[in-house]
Amino acid sequence: MTTAPVRSATALEGPPDPDLVRIRDLIYQVAGIFHPDNKLRLLFDRCGRRMKELKTQSLREYFECLTIKPIRQAELVALLNEITIGETCFFRNMPQLDALRQIILPKVIEAKINLPMRKLRVWSAGCSTGEEPYTLSMMMMEEAQGRLKNWTVEILATDLNERSLTHARNAIYGDYSTRHLTPFYRQKYFTPVGSQLQVLTASCSNINFSRLNLSDDSRMTFMKSLDVIFCCNVLIYFDLASKRRVIQHFYNNLLPHGYLFLGHSESLYGVSDDFRLVHLPGGTAYVKGERAQARK
Amino acid sequence: MNTAATKATLLQRLEGLQHIPTIPAVLGPLLRYLQQPTEQLDVQKVTEMIGQDKSLAAQCLQMANSPLFGRWQKIDTLRSAVIGLGFQRVGDIAMSCGVLNIMPRDCGLDPVVFWEHSLGCALVARHFARKISYPDPGKAYLAGLLHDLGIIVNLWVLPKEFIVAFELARKEGIPLREAEQTVLGFTHCDSGLLLANRWDLAPDLKEVVALHHSPQVSKEHTALVTLVELSDLLCRMSGLNYGYVENRQVNLLEQTGFAVLSQQCPGMKDLDWARLTFELDSYLDEVHALVRAIYRI
Repeated sequence: MTTAPVRSATALEGPPDPDLVRIRDLIYQVAGIFHPDNKLRLLFDRCGRRMKELKTQSLREYFECLTIKPIRQAELVALLNEITIGETCFFRNMPQLDALRQIILPKVIEAKINLPMRKLRVWSAGCSTGEEPYTLSMMMMEEAQGRLKNWTVEILATDLNERSLTHARNAIYGDYSTRHLTPFYRQKYFTPVGSQLQVLTASCSNINFSRLNLSDDSRMTFMKSLDVIFCCNVLIYFDLASKRRVIQHFYNNLLPHGYLFLGHSESLYGVSDDFRLVHLPGGTAYVKGERAQARK
Repeated sequence: MNTAATKATLLQRLEGLQHIPTIPAVLGPLLRYLQQPTEQLDVQKVTEMIGQDKSLAAQCLQMANSPLFGRWQKIDTLRSAVIGLGFQRVGDIAMSCGVLNIMPRDCGLDPVVFWEHSLGCALVARHFARKISYPDPGKAYLAGLLHDLGIIVNLWVLPKEFIVAFELARKEGIPLREAEQTVLGFTHCDSGLLLANRWDLAPDLKEVVALHHSPQVSKEHTALVTLVELSDLLCRMSGLNYGYVENRQVNLLEQTGFAVLSQQCPGMKDLDWARLTFELDSYLDEVHALVRAIYRI
C-alpha cells in the first residue's frame, strides 16, 4: 500500500488534511465530540501517538484502523482515551462553571423558591477521580452566604471505576489536577500533603460518592429529583443505543427546570430530541424545559 | 430626556456632523462594478480600483492571506488576490476593510472589538447561510458585516453617552441595545438606519441594520434579518462578542424569525446547532489575529 506523507493540520501551515477531517467527522459521528478546525492540530497529535503505537504510516491508514480493520472498536476507545487524557482537573471548564453560578443557579432557585424544602441536587455522572464534584461543592459553598443561604446542597458523584472512586474519596491531588486553582480556592479549601494538595473535609461533607454503571437501568431509575447533571466526556464511549438509554434516564432524573451539561464540544445531536440546546456565554447546555415535555 | 427628543437630537447631530462616517471613496464604484455578471468583470480593473487607496489595498492584501478567506498559499499582490480568491471574496474583503476604516479611533473605546464582532458575524452568517442552503451567502456576509452600523454612528455622534451605555451593558452583563435604550433613549438599530438611509443601502440591508434585534417587525426580508440575528447571537455568546460577557441563556430555536427562515431554507430542519456552535471556535483565533494585524496597518 502506498502511504501519503502525514500533513500538518494547523491553520497556518495549510488546509486541514482531508484524512484528518474524516477522522474528526468519524469521532463526532460515533462519540459526539467535535474538534473545530483550530483544534485539529490537537487531534493530529493524538492520532500521531496512536499511529506510533500501531506503526501506521499515514492518517489514511489510521482511518482504516478506526473503521474497517478488526481492531476498530478497541482502537476507537484507545483514541478517545488519548483525546480525553488529562482533561480531569479542578475548575476545568470555567465558562461552564460561571454559567452555572451566574445564570443557571438563579433560574433553579426561582423555580424552587416556593417549595417547602430548599434543596439543590447536583449529579456528577462519571466523576472519575473527583475533581468535578469537589469543584462544584466549593462553588456552592461560596454561594452559601449568598444565593444559596438556607439551602441544602447535595452533590451525587458516581463512577463505574472503583479505583477512581477511592482516589476521589482520598481527595489528594498533584500539580496537574490543581493547575487551574486560584490562590483563593487553594488556600480556603485545600491543605498541603507533602508536595500534593488534599481537599479539606469541610468541602466534602455534602458529596456522596458511589459506584454506578450508567447502563444499569434499574439503578438509574432511582436517581431522582435532580436540578443539574454534569456528564462530561463519559457518553463518548457509549454506542448510540446505550447513549439514548442513558440520556432518556437523565431526562427522567431531572426536575422540569433541570439542566444537563456535557463536556466541551460534546453534543447530543442525533441522540436525543427531548432536550433543548441552549447557548450560555462560552458554551452550551441542554435544558429539559416545557417544550420538550409538551412534545413527549 | 424622552425617546423622541433624543432621536431628534441624534438626527440633528448626524445632519450637522462635519465628517459623516463614509465608506472609502473607492468602495462605492468597486461594489457597483462587482455587481455585474462575473464574465464581464476584469481582474486588472478591480486591482486598479482597490489600488487607488493604498491603505485599503494593504489591508485587503493582509486579509486575503488569512485562512478565513480560504487561501493557504501566500498572496503577494492584489492581482493574485483577485485571481486566487475571486471577485466576490475580494469585494467582501474590501468592504470589510472599509468598515474598519470608518471606525473612529480616538473615541474613548477600543473600536476593534466592534469590528471584530462585525467581521465575526459576517463570517458566521456566510458559514450559516451555506449550511442551510440560503440562496445568497455573499449577501449574508455583507449583512453580517454591516448589521451594527449604528454602533459606528453612536461612536461618532454621541461618543460620551455611548460609552456610558457600553459601560452599563458591560457592568450588568446585559445586551448592548438594552443599555443604549436606557441611557440614550434609542438603540444602534435606530441610528444605524439613519446612516443606512444616508448611504442609500439596499432595502434588505437597511432592514437588517434596523431590525436585527426585532425580526418580528420585518416584512420584506425576514429570512435575511433572522439569519443575521442568529449569527449575531452566536457571536455574542462566544468569544466574538463586544468584549464582555452577556449573562444570559439564549435559545436560538425560540427566536422570532426562526420559523420564517426554516420555511425558506430547508437546511434548517436538520441543522446540527451544536456542531455549528463548535465550528465557530475555529474562527475565534483567526479573527482576533487578523483584526489585530489589520488594525496596525
